[in-house]
Amino acid sequence: MAQLTVGLIGAGGISHAHAPSWRALGHDVVVYAEKGASELAEAYGLTLAGSLDELLGSVDVVDICTPTPTHAELALAAIAAGLDVICEKPIARTAADARRVADAATERGVSVFPAHVVRYFPEYAALHAAVQAGRLGELAILRFSRGGAAPSADWFFDEAAAGGLVLDQMIHDLDQARWIAGEVVAVMATQNPPTVDGVSPRIAVAHVTLTHASGALSHVQGSWGPAGVEFVTSFDAAGSSGRLQYDSRARREITSNVPPRAGSTSYLPTLSGDNPYASELREFVAAIEGGPAPRVTINDGILAIGLAEAALDSVRTGQTVPFDELLILTGVAA
Amino acid sequence: MTKLKVGVMSFAHVHAWSYLSSLLSRDDVELLSSDPDGARASDPGPRGAEFAAVLGAPYVETYDELFAWEPDIVVICTENSRHLEAAVLAFGAGAHVLCEKPLATTVADAESMVRLADEAGRFLMTAFPIRFTDGFAALRSRVHAGEVGTVLAVLGTNNGKIPTGDRAWFTDAQFSGGGALVDHVVHCADLLDSLLGEPAEWVSAVSNGILSADLGLAVETGGLVTIGYPSGIFATIDCSWSQPANAAVWGDVTLQVTGTDGSLAMSAMARYISGTTASGDVWMPFGLDFDGAMLDHLLEAVRAGVQPQPDGHVGVRTTRIVAAAQESARTGSVVRVA
Repeated sequence: MAQLTVGLIGAGGISHAHAPSWRALGHDVVVYAEKGASELAEAYGLTLAGSLDELLGSVDVVDICTPTPTHAELALAAIAAGLDVICEKPIARTAADARRVADAATERGVSVFPAHVVRYFPEYAALHAAVQAGRLGELAILRFSRGGAAPSADWFFDEAAAGGLVLDQMIHDLDQARWIAGEVVAVMATQNPPTVDGVSPRIAVAHVTLTHASGALSHVQGSWGPAGVEFVTSFDAAGSSGRLQYDSRARREITSNVPPRAGSTSYLPTLSGDNPYASELREFVAAIEGGPAPRVTINDGILAIGLAEAALDSVRTGQTVPFDELLILTGVAA
Repeated sequence: MTKLKVGVMSFAHVHAWSYLSSLLSRDDVELLSSDPDGARASDPGPRGAEFAAVLGAPYVETYDELFAWEPDIVVICTENSRHLEAAVLAFGAGAHVLCEKPLATTVADAESMVRLADEAGRFLMTAFPIRFTDGFAALRSRVHAGEVGTVLAVLGTNNGKIPTGDRAWFTDAQFSGGGALVDHVVHCADLLDSLLGEPAEWVSAVSNGILSADLGLAVETGGLVTIGYPSGIFATIDCSWSQPANAAVWGDVTLQVTGTDGSLAMSAMARYISGTTASGDVWMPFGLDFDGAMLDHLLEAVRAGVQPQPDGHVGVRTTRIVAAAQESARTGSVVRVA
């Protein structure tokens, strides 16, 4: 694998997962961010860029780790500069904006890779592989759950700009459900407390039920809780010839029995085994260098946003929302 | 202490076994059982006198003989669709009734049973044994004490093996009222009724028949039911018969309550030892006598002359949720609960 110079934009929470992974893979990283860039550079041995233009003019590939509302604009700027783009999920606030990014990339002849990292978490990859190998037979009922402390930055809670819990966090498991059980045809969702005057609640739970084209049904629970709650994920997939389950609390390499101390809080998972961020970036780089397509494509990213938007519509209307993948991808009904 | 006379009507429901066993072990009751329809049933498992004889339970061939014995309490273990006709006989004979869940296969039947109880001046209790687990009691008291703050949402699961084998009627809608939506929604719905203390406002449900499709059943074998409450709380119940037939564990009933301060979860079947023997993976439960705890409560309430819980009204409310879930799954619409 060639050594690349990666342009990392943004120095917030997720950049602390990407930057060390890029370094571990042996790539150079130039970082530009409105704040926090020098601390990030110092922590992981990155080079600072003085401006976005300086960064775009000096790198081989761009990695966007900024808040959601800036994703589409930054992706379009990188595409205009002729660069391949890796973009944190969601690629944009709306599927329509994500489609514009995809169209621009096609026109310029570059690629956009949405960083749906859960596809690279080994437990989810193992479920996907088992399903693909037919070990569960025909999938019937799936459940996914994800919860931890709510993020602290304010932008997460501006629904028009970032989509709140459903778009920001549950997009992971909406993508998992689609990846594992296939095309979705209907979405029903509910959230408590509700979003009021465009402000998503900081502490909230949402449930989304998906009907897949195959007839399989998926349930996704997402929650943002108070500071200090443990980040927990789980799934349960039942099919005509078996059932597989995972719960991040159920099997641990280390268990402790120590009185709790105040202050620890996280909305990012504790990593074990292969670093899924590095696995993800490695696969994207291989694709950029002409290797096989990665397991997650821009269309998957657009559809994940579409699912989250349908869920937000359902939360608002209290009704089941039909979902047409072709319409989401092309803007034209099937 | 005078012994209470408890009659068991029908062995159609598999729980007749645990009721008879539990009642036989007590010295504060007299027991008599009858299963006149057993001989005509298509069930491959033993019914009637043969079933009673296995346990050594006192048995008579007809309900006339059972009621001539003047039972204080009757436990109804008929097929779901026959609960009302059994209740007519039991209340007509002046007995209190413990009825297997679901209380009935239609809301109208369930409401009739409550009315019959009121007219007879007798108690009607619905058999929701999971309410009597230590896990649920602890969850309920800790949630009510505010441990998770304000409750936002609940995720319930009642996943087990498909009830085939000895009792085929469980998957025949004519007798059961439906599939997994009937068999497995009501337990969690009852726990939610007790935990939240507010009636459901709307229900949205989806179901399919992919699990055990090889059995060629006409009823749903999997489903996801979301229930909304006036406070804004919602709860989803996974009612699927999704536990593979060759699993060591039957399944579980779980409830996870998420609130503003965190979450609490219960498992009804958490007390077991497990391992592997020559016959494969094994699961050996201990201390899981919910039916016994439920009978304790019923007998104590009847002796004290107070209404046992969960009562017939809970039976009606949970039947309404099932009916709404069936309608929602059929129409694809969100259904208001009357």
